[in-house]
Amino acid sequence: MISIQDVHVAYGQAGKPARNILNGVSLDITAGEFISIVGQTGCGKSTLLRLVLAEEMPLSGQVLVEGSPRHRPDRRCGYVPQKYSLFPDRTVLENITFGLEVTEVGFFGSLSPARRVRRQEFQAEAFGYLRRMGLRESDAVKYPHQLSGGMQQRVAIAQALIMRPKVLLMDEAFSALDPGTRLGMQRLIKDLWRETGTTILFVTHNPREAVILATRVIALGRTGGDDDGANIVLDLPVPDGCDEQRIAGLIRRVEQSTFPDGLRTEEVDAAEA
Amino acid sequence: MRKFLLILPALFLLSGALRAAGNPPTFTLGWSVYVGWDPYQYMAKSGLLKKWADKYGVAIKVQRFDYAPSLDAFVAKNIDACAMTNMEALDMPAAAGVDTTSIIVGDYSNGNDAVLVRHNLTLGQIPGKRVLLVEKTVSQYLFERAMTINNLSGELKRVKYVNTSDSDIAGAFLSDTSQDVVVTWKPLVSQILKGKGITKIFDSSKIPGEILDLMVVRTEVLNRPDGSGQRFAKAIAGAWYELTAQMAKPGPEGDKVLSSIAEVSGDTLASYKEQLATTHLFYTAPSALEMTKSEQLKKTMELVRQFCFSHGLLGDKTSSPDDVAIRFPDGSVQGKKDRVRLRFDASYMELAAGGKL
Amino acid sequence: MSILQIHAQPSRTTVWILSWLLFATGIVSYLWVSRARHLENPDDRVMPTLYQMGRAFADATLKPAEDDEVTGDPNQQSLATKIRNSMLWKDTMATGRRFLISMALLFPAVLLGLHMGMFPYVGSVFLRFVLFFDKIVALSLLPILFIAFGIDELAKVMLIVVGVAPTIILDSFNLTRGVPKEQIVKGFTLGAGDFAITYRIVFKQIWPRVLNSIRLNLKSVMLFLFAGEMIASQDGLAYRIALLRRHMGMDTIIPYVLWVALLLFLVDFGMRTLNRKLHPWFQEA
Repeated sequence: MISIQDVHVAYGQAGKPARNILNGVSLDITAGEFISIVGQTGCGKSTLLRLVLAEEMPLSGQVLVEGSPRHRPDRRCGYVPQKYSLFPDRTVLENITFGLEVTEVGFFGSLSPARRVRRQEFQAEAFGYLRRMGLRESDAVKYPHQLSGGMQQRVAIAQALIMRPKVLLMDEAFSALDPGTRLGMQRLIKDLWRETGTTILFVTHNPREAVILATRVIALGRTGGDDDGANIVLDLPVPDGCDEQRIAGLIRRVEQSTFPDGLRTEEVDAAEA
Repeated sequence: MRKFLLILPALFLLSGALRAAGNPPTFTLGWSVYVGWDPYQYMAKSGLLKKWADKYGVAIKVQRFDYAPSLDAFVAKNIDACAMTNMEALDMPAAAGVDTTSIIVGDYSNGNDAVLVRHNLTLGQIPGKRVLLVEKTVSQYLFERAMTINNLSGELKRVKYVNTSDSDIAGAFLSDTSQDVVVTWKPLVSQILKGKGITKIFDSSKIPGEILDLMVVRTEVLNRPDGSGQRFAKAIAGAWYELTAQMAKPGPEGDKVLSSIAEVSGDTLASYKEQLATTHLFYTAPSALEMTKSEQLKKTMELVRQFCFSHGLLGDKTSSPDDVAIRFPDGSVQGKKDRVRLRFDASYMELAAGGKL
Repeated sequence: MSILQIHAQPSRTTVWILSWLLFATGIVSYLWVSRARHLENPDDRVMPTLYQMGRAFADATLKPAEDDEVTGDPNQQSLATKIRNSMLWKDTMATGRRFLISMALLFPAVLLGLHMGMFPYVGSVFLRFVLFFDKIVALSLLPILFIAFGIDELAKVMLIVVGVAPTIILDSFNLTRGVPKEQIVKGFTLGAGDFAITYRIVFKQIWPRVLNSIRLNLKSVMLFLFAGEMIASQDGLAYRIALLRRHMGMDTIIPYVLWVALLLFLVDFGMRTLNRKLHPWFQEA
């Protein structure tokens, strides 16, 4: 499904030596996987996501989705960012139906009766998603600023999934939420993944979250000195139906590879809380 | 140390008092750039004015303005004397209740103000068209006199005036070739005439003596009980006629004075002389007196005050032009005797003529 | 005394009274000086009394300008007709017309800024030039404007546009750049094309801020409008003020100035209300 081939990314300013972000990273992802990308802040995990999203282009190497290279973001990849995930000038319902409005109805679509019918159809579909996300019908006319963080992210996920993307890219989507809400969101996304079978790339800096959600955890870290970019330091499959002890063990392995100084997840979480 | 510090302010106050006691009364004279008024600047710069001021025991400051601000300053009583035309003397200070006296009649415009047209339009063809000028000034007066003299006063209602500020009128008329008529004064007139297809169809030489340039002083200043105001006026008159005598000298001697005057107001000798050519300057006191005491002056002021009144320039409270009355050297008054606001005083010019300054 | 400290807590009545304090002081001082001047010189025109200003304003509202043609007998006209023929009305209409036309012409400026922010090629072509043009003092371009546009309505409107457009373009440009790029990427992932993203996402988001920006530039627009009218005009509020100045008609000038302030306040208020009604989701109003 996704093939990342030996990508290099570096940021440079005139006159200064370039800062390497990613150093020849290669990764193959098959359809239906739930991939977590973990690592410390600044290690390039968001950058990797943005390469798949095609928001950024690598200096060398290429990214292929379903065999074809990416030039700019498009429908194949849905996107849920950490913030600014919804259009503030639209209601919840309008946000969810935005993609369908734009692609199927267009600017002058209201003039065509066929399109008006189609609009009614996908508005009904949007309500379905609303309910699936655990929101009420009365929420449909609210504006994003009237919703809590968790509700906003739920709507953002619905907005992306209604377009049936091949891949869903989530960039620290739950990192700004409180632990209680976060737990609910984690359950939700796991359920949705099972229902829809969408390939999901999930970036997080929390190893626990990474292990719980994913079928495969990719950890990024710097292998060389500080100047070198990051590379994949761990590629860990997570089998289904692990018990708590197994999970704890996997988490520790992820931690060791990403937090070489021996910090542990709980300490990181405590620091964040 | 402390005692020394106490002495300082005491000394300061003392010196201030001494300075005040020994100071002659100070007066301010305002002028703006115009051929008939540039001499005042030269007078100040060359020390000629100071010589006369010292003679009469006064101090005179000369300050340059743009024309309209000079009028404002005079009306607001911030300056004591000002150079202005007869029309402005009537509709600015006089109409605002500031009793004003003209002590010197300097010159009259003898072609300095003109009506210029494109396509050789005649005056009769102007009604219905747009005329660029500074509204409610000498330019409008000139234009209306031009029309009246040619029996077109009934058509004045159809003329569309476009109020255009003098700083932009030349540029505006020259660059917008759809405009047909402009009324303004030199040197703007000379600039505009350099453009193609523009001719002059009327100028102030056709109404000689109607647009006068005066040096006016606030009457209350002249009437100061210590006589300093009168001394101020004498100083100005003395300096003025000494300078005009020098200006009148033919040949290189006169030219030297003229070029100094031109230089001091940022002009060239040639251009200044060209403007002088269309100005009837009263170089000698007797010639000025002749105009001041003439019947023609009364006729002129009658025309001017009717113009001002009909255009609402005399103020809203006035129900007739008689409410802003003018007093002439022979004692006659145009208007209500108890409402005299503008006076023509010939006494200083007479003193100058008699060599008694 | 806690009056002067940061945590002072004046009551609402106190705040209300204090806010009118400077107005009261100003008006009282003016009346005092005006009365003194009038005692000394009953014809004083520099500081008219309230009565004079009131009368002048009534005249301006009900009587035509002295140079206008008087059509029909004033005594037989209805109030509405009198007002429509009056000096104030005609001046307001003239100035108002120019104001509205210039505001309409500012709209393309907003669109240009938007496109400059969204499309890199458009930005490259225009940005440097607009930044430069922004620094040119529009009034100094007057001679060039006269040559290009004459001295009629077009020149006055262009003076306003040339003076204010660069600011609006740059504001619009900066606001466009300020839209979080996550929103733009999101738009792409939902299937939108370049124009859909520009107009349906970015433009909709920046529009309330753009309206605010235009509202804040109202004073600039009026400044240029007045400059143009004072330099060469046949009618308009600033034209009238310039004319009245020539013979110190302060009794009409002062009411005119206050009238203009009132109009500007109403326009500002109108725009703020419009913004609030159209964009209930915009919280920074």
